[in-house]
Amino acid sequence: MIRRWRSVLRTPLGIAATALTVAVLVLAVVAPILWTDDANAVDTGNILAGPSGDHWAGTDNLGRDILFRTLVATRLSVELALAATAIAVVAGLVLGTAGFVLGRRPGRLVSAAINIAVAFPGILLALFFAVVFGVGATGAVLAIGFAGAPAFGRLTQTLVAGIESRDFISAARIAGVGRLRILVRHVLPNISEPLVVNATIGAGGALLSFAGLSFLGLGVQQPRYDWGRLLFDGISSIYVNPASALAPGAAVLIAGLAFNLFGESVAKGLGVGVVGGIPALPPVVPTLVTDEPLIEESHQAGTDLVLDVRDLEVTFPGARGPIRPVRGVSFAVRRGEAVGVVGESGSGKSLTALAVSRLVGEPGRVDASRLDLLGTDLRARDSRAQRQLLGTSLAMVFQDPMTSFNPTRRMGGQLAEVARHHQGLERRSALARAVDRLRSVRISEPERRARQYPHEFSGGMRQRAMIGMGLMGNPALIIADEPTTALDVTVQLQVLDLLQAIREADGVALVLISHDVTVVGEVCDRVLVMYAGRIVEDLPAAALSGEALHPYTRALVAAVPDMDTDLDQPLAVIPGRPVDPADVPPGCAYAARCPLASERCRVEDPALVPAGPGHRVACWHAGEPIDIEIADREEVRVP
Amino acid sequence: MSELRFDDVTVRYGHLTAVDRVSLTVPAGQVVGLVGESGSGKSTLARAAVGLAPVSGGRILLDGRPVPTRGRRRPLQMVFQDPYSSLDPRMSIGESVAEALPPGRSRDERRAEVYRLLELVHLDPGKAAVRPALLSGGQRQRVALARALAGDPQVVIADEITSALDVSIQGAVLNLVRELQRELGLSLLFISHNLAVVRYVASHVAVMRGGVIVEEGPTDRVLADPGHDYTRELLAAVPGSTPSSRPRRTP
Ligand SMILES: Nc1ncnc2c1ncn2[C@@H]1O[C@H](COP(=O)(O)OP(=O)(O)OP(=O)(O)O)[C@@H](O)[C@H]1O
Ligand code: SF4
Ligand SMILES: [Mg+2]
Repeated sequence: MIRRWRSVLRTPLGIAATALTVAVLVLAVVAPILWTDDANAVDTGNILAGPSGDHWAGTDNLGRDILFRTLVATRLSVELALAATAIAVVAGLVLGTAGFVLGRRPGRLVSAAINIAVAFPGILLALFFAVVFGVGATGAVLAIGFAGAPAFGRLTQTLVAGIESRDFISAARIAGVGRLRILVRHVLPNISEPLVVNATIGAGGALLSFAGLSFLGLGVQQPRYDWGRLLFDGISSIYVNPASALAPGAAVLIAGLAFNLFGESVAKGLGVGVVGGIPALPPVVPTLVTDEPLIEESHQAGTDLVLDVRDLEVTFPGARGPIRPVRGVSFAVRRGEAVGVVGESGSGKSLTALAVSRLVGEPGRVDASRLDLLGTDLRARDSRAQRQLLGTSLAMVFQDPMTSFNPTRRMGGQLAEVARHHQGLERRSALARAVDRLRSVRISEPERRARQYPHEFSGGMRQRAMIGMGLMGNPALIIADEPTTALDVTVQLQVLDLLQAIREADGVALVLISHDVTVVGEVCDRVLVMYAGRIVEDLPAAALSGEALHPYTRALVAAVPDMDTDLDQPLAVIPGRPVDPADVPPGCAYAARCPLASERCRVEDPALVPAGPGHRVACWHAGEPIDIEIADREEVRVP
Repeated sequence: MSELRFDDVTVRYGHLTAVDRVSLTVPAGQVVGLVGESGSGKSTLARAAVGLAPVSGGRILLDGRPVPTRGRRRPLQMVFQDPYSSLDPRMSIGESVAEALPPGRSRDERRAEVYRLLELVHLDPGKAAVRPALLSGGQRQRVALARALAGDPQVVIADEITSALDVSIQGAVLNLVRELQRELGLSLLFISHNLAVVRYVASHVAVMRGGVIVEEGPTDRVLADPGHDYTRELLAAVPGSTPSSRPRRTP
């Protein structure tokens, strides 16, 4: 959190705006303490003087120093602006959350009221309130505060609506948590950031409005003075001493700008997500290069390698030193081959895929001794050629296709954009290709569908369209990360069939990431089993049931129910928990959960070594019999 | 032991009838599986039961009385499908679980209970102070499960709770579900698209499509001898159901 706020400070504009805002606030505190006497000193011999050495901005009609008065006025001006903003925020919050607290129907009334209020020009409302509350500082604060409330109400309402639809709100309601409590505990914390940002910007606006009201004579009255009042007084003598109006005017401008820019840069800083403010990573130790003859062989095999990954590591900065969720993964994918990646959640499957497609963002760091896609080294610096290669030769399919599409643009256009961007096709032929690709992923009436928006596609169609998007280029490799997890079985089957067909037709290689061993076993030729950021077994899919050697693989296979699982037995479960990447034990990472673990396992990490044709395994006791009793030993306790 | 009964329930969103006169009973202490494609109304039916969807016809009864949807005591709990949206990103997982505990316990008791629940779902209780952002999808779903159990419910509706889970935890969760059902007499409406999972957990199964239940019966009967075309289609789509492509594993 703090990190995100800190990132605001990393842009030049952010620094400038913050410095300016802090300066204004400091001035507001100290100026009246230091200079009140100077500001009130009447010098009758020096009335309405222009700027001079004694009075840098000249004097007013009582001979008081304009500059000092402007400085001292900072406090009142800022106070009034903040008070008005506070009123606007509080009233806005009440309005904006009324719908949530009161329920559907009263909520609708409130929102209609807000809509009407928002439609009124703010200054008009302010004038109206000024008349109601009377001329003076209090009236002006209330006026500006309430005039700002509808806009805040609308903002709050929108933000609340976004949060309200999330399941955690439903879950809290089901748990019997009251609406007010949900509002305070769940809703407000989740909308606080945009609110704070907008309040800051609002404060800048309030400052300007105040100056406006005071200038019109509707704000602060003599003998108190804020910038607007000074401006009002200064204007009358502008021909005698222009500085008398310019000084307070500049103050309003600078302070208003400071708040505005500060708010804007905070918004920008928070919008970009979790970047920045993290200490630089210590250099990563050179990766251990183990002898992996199988990979070596495939290197010799040469040209038919689509993807060649060696010693891949992904590192993130953590609170207690770098965390490495992927710890030296080596594998190769041949042309037309389907490789499955299975493993528990957190085992590093997705990160491996993201690293290959260069999608691991800051502050993550990817290292590898080799990372070749079609013979091109992906470790090189980001270049146009590389993006081109990734854009056309590699297709990524994610679990949730909805988030991968822009909801406001037509499907056809989004697909076409890929071709225009990477292949330089012009609009019409790109669109034609998009329609063709939609057809190739078996979307019926592709011409009509291309004109539809993502939400008009069903989940399965979106997923197919996503695959179609990947096919806009001529991919040699499709990486699909849990492509069917969000889909129905029948649709899942269609998507898997489609991937299979593409593979067979075009010789496209497939890396299918899934936690479902059944799916992977059915679709793939070869399966990589990942555990704690390592590949622990690499085996032909046909060998999964029965010939798997690693105790983890065997447990994984036994843990999935299928249509002939014995209903009287508990499912095999893997005792214990997955390894926390922040805390990887020495020796074999699986030792704590492994029924075969021996002393050696706890100290020495087994390397991935060949164990028969097309089979690699990392285990000191590979293939040794496991007492089924032990595999089932974890009793699930009941409260 | 409690019985959950949907009696001729209809749920409409505007002109769309999401659930169309569905009658379904989850007998006390039993597990009923509900399968069907997305958009068939499974989740809507579940949400109606906990008061999150408007019931425009029929009744939902717990032991013959309307399901309480107000007050702190909620004997009907639900676990949601999407672990990314079902936990408040601003709250530690321990707080999320604690929030669902029935009121009236000391601070220490609550903490101990949260620890026990986290342990129950195979999460490190030491992580209770962690925010969900640091957990993977599978870990989040375990938290959601712990939260539902925290309310000490009589009936739980599990909406696709294993579809986002790892196989290893899925097995443990399914075992847990069966244990709870047997020993606590928990009644469960288990919504899933995975027939193998439903077969393992549920004694009864209902197949839903287009807002109506097209087939219903004892699980073994429905799976062995499906009476509706759609059930047959579902069965054919189960991965590994084509014997040629996948060798049977030996136990
Ligand atoms: N941006 C990040 N910063 C810090 N840690 C991260 C980041 N992204 C992922 N991790 C950690 O890396 C580990 C591996 O994550 P990854 O997403 O690859 O797992 P996965 O095998 O795909 O799991 P799942 O089956 O749940 O999708 C996890 O422990 C995760 O918490
Ligand atoms: S190396 Fe030892 S602890 Fe690791 S999987 Fe093999 S037997 Fe188990
Ligand atoms: Mg993943």
